[in-house]
Amino acid sequence: MVETKRFFFDLPKGSRPKPGNTWKAPAGTTNVRDFQIYRWDPDQGGNPRIDTYQVDLDKCGPMVLDALIKIKNEVDPTLTFRRSCREGICGSCAVNINGTNTLSCIKPIDDVKQGPVRVNPLPHMPVVKDLVPDLSLAYAQLRSVEPWLKADTPAPPDSERLQSLEERARLDGLWECILCFCCTTSCPSYWWNGDRYLGPATLLAAYRWISDSRDEATGERLDALKDPFKLYRCHTIFNCTEACPKGLNPAKAIGEIKLQLLEREG
Amino acid sequence: MVTPSIETTTVDVLILGAGGAGLLAALHCHDAAPDLSIAIAVKGLLGKCGCTRMVQGGYNVAVDPADSVERHFRDTIEGGQWLNDQELAWTLVTGAVERVMELENRWGCFFDRAADGRVHQKAFAGQSFDRTVHKGSLTGIEIINRLAEQVLARSILRLEDHRALDLLPARDGNGMAGALLLDIRRGVFRLVRAGAVLLATGGGPSMYRYHTPSGDKSTDGLAMALRAGLFLRDMEMVQFHPTGLALGPATRATGTIIEEGLRGAGGHLLRADGARFMTDYDPRGERATRDIVSRAMAGEMRRGNTGPRGGLFLSMAHLDPAMVRRDFRGMVDRCADLGFDLVGGLVEVTPTAHYLMGGVMFRPDGTTSMPGLYAAGEDTGGVHGANRLGGNGVANSTVFGGRAGDTIARHAVAGAAPPEPDPAVVEAAVTAAIRPLSRPAGDLYHHRERLLDLMWEQVGIIRDGAGLAGALAELEEIGAGIEATGVAGGPLYNPTWQDRLNLGNQVLVARAIATAALARTDSRGAHYRADHPAAGPLDETTHTVVRLEGDRPVAGLCPVAFPRLRPPPPGCIGGAA
Repeated sequence: MVETKRFFFDLPKGSRPKPGNTWKAPAGTTNVRDFQIYRWDPDQGGNPRIDTYQVDLDKCGPMVLDALIKIKNEVDPTLTFRRSCREGICGSCAVNINGTNTLSCIKPIDDVKQGPVRVNPLPHMPVVKDLVPDLSLAYAQLRSVEPWLKADTPAPPDSERLQSLEERARLDGLWECILCFCCTTSCPSYWWNGDRYLGPATLLAAYRWISDSRDEATGERLDALKDPFKLYRCHTIFNCTEACPKGLNPAKAIGEIKLQLLEREG
Repeated sequence: MVTPSIETTTVDVLILGAGGAGLLAALHCHDAAPDLSIAIAVKGLLGKCGCTRMVQGGYNVAVDPADSVERHFRDTIEGGQWLNDQELAWTLVTGAVERVMELENRWGCFFDRAADGRVHQKAFAGQSFDRTVHKGSLTGIEIINRLAEQVLARSILRLEDHRALDLLPARDGNGMAGALLLDIRRGVFRLVRAGAVLLATGGGPSMYRYHTPSGDKSTDGLAMALRAGLFLRDMEMVQFHPTGLALGPATRATGTIIEEGLRGAGGHLLRADGARFMTDYDPRGERATRDIVSRAMAGEMRRGNTGPRGGLFLSMAHLDPAMVRRDFRGMVDRCADLGFDLVGGLVEVTPTAHYLMGGVMFRPDGTTSMPGLYAAGEDTGGVHGANRLGGNGVANSTVFGGRAGDTIARHAVAGAAPPEPDPAVVEAAVTAAIRPLSRPAGDLYHHRERLLDLMWEQVGIIRDGAGLAGALAELEEIGAGIEATGVAGGPLYNPTWQDRLNLGNQVLVARAIATAALARTDSRGAHYRADHPAAGPLDETTHTVVRLEGDRPVAGLCPVAFPRLRPPPPGCIGGAA
């Protein structure tokens, strides 16, 4: 008889969020929505908690980021999150909203279906504080694919390298990545093997350089990715493409890398 | 309360800011003198902060054989209303040619191409030639991602989540000793000892009700420069970009811009009744420079010809929809994110505070009046005069950032012990920074609201002497209110403490702006005095210069030099060589 083993897919004991404080809306407000927000302060330690803030939507801007700023400014000055450009360009404010990774600055509150708006840090990353993830590993992985131009042939002395419209167009859908890591942190393969699998954002960046007609290190780049973990942990689940707030398709880019490796093998 | 500890880091070169200026300075400095130890400090994550990343339109450069640096120079000077420092402006236009090729060939940027294989150049306002190099309408992403990756490739110390609190002059008064930083994430001070410090934090008029700069921009560099005793030039010159999105005051999305290329491509500005108005103000219509368009819009808005959110409308509907979709994909998406149809509908827009033309007085090689202190990018003043041309901003930060890096590489000596900092300055900076943590927490944000509204109403697009004098008095009051306000929580990653430190800097620089605006009794470029509407003789014009006396900004005037181009005599159109 084969011995079966049961696995529990659950959070480690110290990381299970507990119900936290509730901050009621001022009396007399009618258009109220609950925001349930993940809180964890390394100074205080202990388990994370979920605080509930009742926000008067009549006095709040349309985006989830507007609500986070309103809560910080008017209700709870310790609520910590990243933000910079507030126009979907910098990727700083990426969080998980009701189960989906996205940018809080371009996510309309109205687009979150009925019930509370639940805001958590990007999944499966160490938490620095509240909604701020530690992205050190993701950045180290990005660096590992050497995302910079490699060309031994010198450029013309007084001009850019001449490139056709088609060569430039090959980068569309790749260069627009803002490195918010919404894709990487939505990927089950990355959750499971994030220490060895590079994840969709980094692989999209790698493919950007593979596709660059000026770059002369394509073979070397493909060699470096030919690895059961770095690349082939992608099981085409497509969570990455689903999550990308910029409408990019990392799964397709990863597929193209695999295809180029296959073609190279002949 | 726990008193935050102070950690010390010693390097040869400290770069404050990681936008276009800071990153290029780091790269140039490192590659010219690889033995130097370099640290680059940024308030958030490398590559995600500052405004270069937010550049939409592009990069002005005369690389077409039919164009010339002389034309680019003349456009820059005429756009700047003859107030530019001409040596700086000449350095800009000539340096841009070199830098844009370097961005492509050395740092790996891949800008949009024309059919002949060279970079594509599009039309921007106020220019006599289509010379704006770009990548779609999201040019900044390309530039900053490539530069940040190049920094990752080098042994450059990245101090992320670090803000600078104050510059530290040497104890003996001879040069720079470094800067006091705060590690925001860990809540500890970091005293960075360095004999060379580059101020490249980016200006950013974020103290106006509607503004474009990113949330981490709070004029820290300008405030530190004032406190260190430096002179700031032409601080009254605050650029308002005409097409900020108008979504009402409750959202931070209001004031973010859609790019100038839309007007360059033939976009119309409309009143609420659907009529065009720009041709009543300038023969170039919507393609007039930013100062003229913003002022015309402010006038129309004051007359109440506005849409539901108090703005006017940008329309592209009369143009080829396929062209708009193809050439402005980023802008179409951006508008759609906020519920506007850029291709066929109307987009409600308002002028929005965009850029500080004024800033630290500096030389073309990045040096300042303080030995060991260098400056580049929007922290500096003089390149753009009274009005910056769209597309000259990212050219400024990258050209002068790189030059400052080269200069520092020549001046700095690897491993040389930096001068001792003045302990009194360190102690004063630490005390000022931690003070809010020991005071009872109060409502910080009503001070912020007051500051933003006051600057918008009285120190904004249209100003007058009485309003400015009143604003100065009120700014002192707001400053005192901010100073007295404590914040809750401890030093570790405390966002409200950061807001409090930001506001202290913003209100100080707001006072410098109002002081300079009161001192300039003429109207030119971005500065318009309803009580002094005439430009006056262009060749007798002056720069304003502001510095701190005690804790009060005071203004002086100094004449403008015209070493390359003379302004036209009264009554003439265009300049005389």
